[in-house]
Amino acid sequence: MSVIQEVAKTRGASRETRKGDGKAAAIFLAPWFIGLGLITAFPLLASLYLSFTDYSLLEAPNWIGLENYTEMFADPRWTKSLAVTFQYVFISVPLQLAAALGLAMVLDRGLRGLAFYRSVYYLPSLLGSSVAIALLWRQVFGADGLVNQVLAYFGIEGVGWVSHPDYALGTLMILNVWTFGAPMIIFLAGLRQIPTMYYEAASIDGASKLRQFFNITIPLLSPIIFFNLVLQLIGAFQTFTQAYIVSNGTGGPIDSTLFYTLYLYNEGFGSYNMGYASAMAWFLLLIVAGLTAVNFFASKFWVFYDD
Amino acid sequence: MTDTPVRPDSPTATTDRQRVREQRPLSELAAEIPDTPRKRKVGPRARRILKHVLLIGFGLVMLYPLLWMLSSSFKPNEIIFREPGLIPTELDLTNYSQGWFALLHPFHHYLLNSAIVVLGSVLGNLISCSMAAYAFARLKFRGRPLWFAIMLMTIMLPIHVIIVPQYILFSSLEWINTFLPLIVPKLLATDAFFIFLMVQFFRGLPKELDEAARLDGCGHGRIFLRIMLPLSLPALATTAIFTFIWTWNDFFSQLIFLTDPEMYTVPIALRTFIDSTSASSWGPLFAMSIVSLVPIFFIFLFGQKYLVKGIATTGIK
Amino acid sequence: MRATTTRGRKRAAFIALTAAGALALGACSGDSGGPGGGGDDDGGSSESGDVEIRFSWWGSDDRHQTTQEIIALFEEKNPGITVVPDYTDWGGYWDKLATTVAGGDTPDVITHEERFIADYANRGVIADLESLDIDTAEIPESIVDSGRVDGTLYGLATGVNAYAMVADPQIFEEAGVEMPDDTSWTWDDFVQVSADLSEAAGDGVWGTQDIGFNEAGLNILARQKGQTLYNEDGSLGVDQETVAEFFQIGVDLQEAGGTPDASRTIEFQNAGPEGSLLGTNAGGMGIWWSNQLGALSDASGHELELLRVPGESEYERTGMYFKPAMFYAVSATTEHPEESAAFVDFLLNDPEVAQMQLTDRGLPSNLTVRESITDQLADADARVADFMADLEDEIVDGPPVPPNGAGDVQDIMINLNSEVLFGSMTPDEAAEAFLTQVADATEG
Repeated sequence: MSVIQEVAKTRGASRETRKGDGKAAAIFLAPWFIGLGLITAFPLLASLYLSFTDYSLLEAPNWIGLENYTEMFADPRWTKSLAVTFQYVFISVPLQLAAALGLAMVLDRGLRGLAFYRSVYYLPSLLGSSVAIALLWRQVFGADGLVNQVLAYFGIEGVGWVSHPDYALGTLMILNVWTFGAPMIIFLAGLRQIPTMYYEAASIDGASKLRQFFNITIPLLSPIIFFNLVLQLIGAFQTFTQAYIVSNGTGGPIDSTLFYTLYLYNEGFGSYNMGYASAMAWFLLLIVAGLTAVNFFASKFWVFYDD
Repeated sequence: MTDTPVRPDSPTATTDRQRVREQRPLSELAAEIPDTPRKRKVGPRARRILKHVLLIGFGLVMLYPLLWMLSSSFKPNEIIFREPGLIPTELDLTNYSQGWFALLHPFHHYLLNSAIVVLGSVLGNLISCSMAAYAFARLKFRGRPLWFAIMLMTIMLPIHVIIVPQYILFSSLEWINTFLPLIVPKLLATDAFFIFLMVQFFRGLPKELDEAARLDGCGHGRIFLRIMLPLSLPALATTAIFTFIWTWNDFFSQLIFLTDPEMYTVPIALRTFIDSTSASSWGPLFAMSIVSLVPIFFIFLFGQKYLVKGIATTGIK
Repeated sequence: MRATTTRGRKRAAFIALTAAGALALGACSGDSGGPGGGGDDDGGSSESGDVEIRFSWWGSDDRHQTTQEIIALFEEKNPGITVVPDYTDWGGYWDKLATTVAGGDTPDVITHEERFIADYANRGVIADLESLDIDTAEIPESIVDSGRVDGTLYGLATGVNAYAMVADPQIFEEAGVEMPDDTSWTWDDFVQVSADLSEAAGDGVWGTQDIGFNEAGLNILARQKGQTLYNEDGSLGVDQETVAEFFQIGVDLQEAGGTPDASRTIEFQNAGPEGSLLGTNAGGMGIWWSNQLGALSDASGHELELLRVPGESEYERTGMYFKPAMFYAVSATTEHPEESAAFVDFLLNDPEVAQMQLTDRGLPSNLTVRESITDQLADADARVADFMADLEDEIVDGPPVPPNGAGDVQDIMINLNSEVLFGSMTPDEAAEAFLTQVADATEG
């Protein structure tokens, strides 16, 4: 009998003596619990309370009940910001993850200069939220920028992509995809944990590279893919810095890059309407929590764990 | 006769792996989990060269904005916009010296401040998040799904609406203008991103290892320290690297919690080069941005070594 | 099997150590920065019995350096008072200020701006300056009044700017177009000259940068026609026709080719002085605040000139005004009102201060001080001073302080002007939207 079978047998036995790991859990979770109680809970609940108030930051808040929420649902700019954000999330996140996974696969094989390529593809992520990005993006996507110069070679006349209401959002999506370095690193770490012997065994059995990808890589990598998907979604909904910097804080031109969090920030800190901003934030939380729950539910069908 | 396959149930794969499994006992299997570098691609030379060409080309495209910034840092401030080409027509190194001494303190003061914050954050995250992740991934306790959901929810609120209550909280603790509001939360596992990351990694590790260790008389503590952590080196390295980079670049909370310019960190210092209402010093900004990228880049380069370490056999006795 | 305990204990110890380490770090760093921790409002006093006040301002590194020197000078002349600096860039300044106010840590002396001062004044955050001992004898009445909200003086102007046209004579010359006569030109003349310049100068150079993104321009046009953007009571004082006329100028410019296409215009607009039309030698004119002349000149490398805004002689009166560049205000909850007042007095009236910062915060509002530095001004700054001196006789009065919520109006202008330029709204529609949106924003 293999050791596994031995282990499997005794598994049942040892489990009996391990009635729930409550005590151990308490120790391991202690820092998190303390953090939750001491640091996270108050601001979280405070912001919920503030969402029912009229709060200018400069004066004490005063209760106005659901007014912020009703105002929000009737606000056309709010609807616009939702539209902008949804578009951005559902287009750029899949693209970014695909690029990340693709490059990770390519760079996972033994390749000369691997470390170099990895660093190169990661560099853009380091700049992602820098003030300099606004300038850089204008340099590339501006009316006289690199992209248009290249297009000119082919005789195509480009527009001012970064400042045109129809295309500005697109340039921000490209910015998101450009910073695929972060999920790529995570994918690489995940790929590293897949023992090569599985691939070897599969090769011995004559499985093609494609087959190996779908039957070995994807399933074994699925917890990581899932992780990246969930967190990139959560993060993308909260995109702020890039939009703020590239649009010069305006969300323009003509609100075409008015991301939800940017609008929220402008309302809270710009218009001294922090109560309204808090209401917006909690609504966002509901959306993101809902989508995450859907993700988790769907994960039962395609994510495989070893437990 | 046939074991319950411990791996996911994709039809063909199961039979392959089952066959392989049955032939060898666990210990041998475990010993075999390699630390091997990926095999060199043995393809026709032309294909390899093409691959490199494509990768380099793509790399250049990716790097163009950075190269532009680098070249602009060597141009005199005034001509950066007037002559936006990639190659500087005039070389001017003063942006670096100017930028270095432009603010109240020489720039290394801000680099040091950032380093302190970052170091504390990295340590904090590594310790507290891995602990919490172990609990979520491997321990059974009451209400686990609920706590997990709460854990995830804590990162779904944009920082702008929680920063004011946070400020009030920290102000009452007299922590404003110290590094405490930036570091202590990390020690208390408030970065749910990394908890979740490590949960996923832990869950990807075979449970047999835990079981085998338990048979040997290990408690959770030892399993955590001797098995889970060493095998999750990639996840830990990822946590460290990402915490480093995100904290290094985090502007907003550092802006709000650090009021005295003495305490300023790199992102805030960089912003002070820009003033849209009068004149901005783009040259020094670019120069100092490049300077602040250097440590991150090297940390990353250095940290890659740990990223690529696959499952080591050292954890299994 | 009980191995966990030892492990647990070891780990606990390690965590405690790290936590202690972090706390120590925090404490150490806090000390090196001076006791500027939370509760500054209680007037932190250091061991020597010093009074400490906090002074906040925005700017870029040049201003920060100069201001530090000014602070050092004040501390020298006033032993026993320490001024703790608190500076950031414009973008982060208001976020930080609002947060510190919310947290009860308002700085003692605050640099303020006319768009936001009403918000702070009406909510009791800043103090009545006339109740403090600050000498305003040498500051013209009209400039002092520019800081009054509802009659109470909340802010003292650090200096004045003017919203004016900036022109590049070199570009005009190279294109062979005559510089306009700014004492008599109308808005139509302006459009015409721009179009002429664009055509004569060739590709990549335009007559002017668009002028519709800032409500200051609208205010000038309104005042020229006898109206005003905001009334004393905060209501709108401009009618739809005037607003539409203002937006129409942008459309006319576009159609005549005097300005670049809409997306290019937005790009130039977002690029600040350095990346502007004038700054990159891509055009002949632009409308700016007078204190930006320096940055523009540096960027363009040419000697730029200030011109009066078009239409000054076209309608019933002149519209230009002296805008307070920024204000100094004092916290209403400060524990050290006398020291704060002394500091403000120093900043406004001490000639040495002016000599250090020259016109960085506008042309000094104290006339004696202003005169004392005129000789020291070089190049751009000198031209600004001359220009402002010329305007003295023509500028009749100043507009009232903008009401609560005025900070939003710039965003509204940017949005609506963009819509008009991209053709998704007509000037009339934009004017209507403007009136509604501004009324909404300022009623709070």
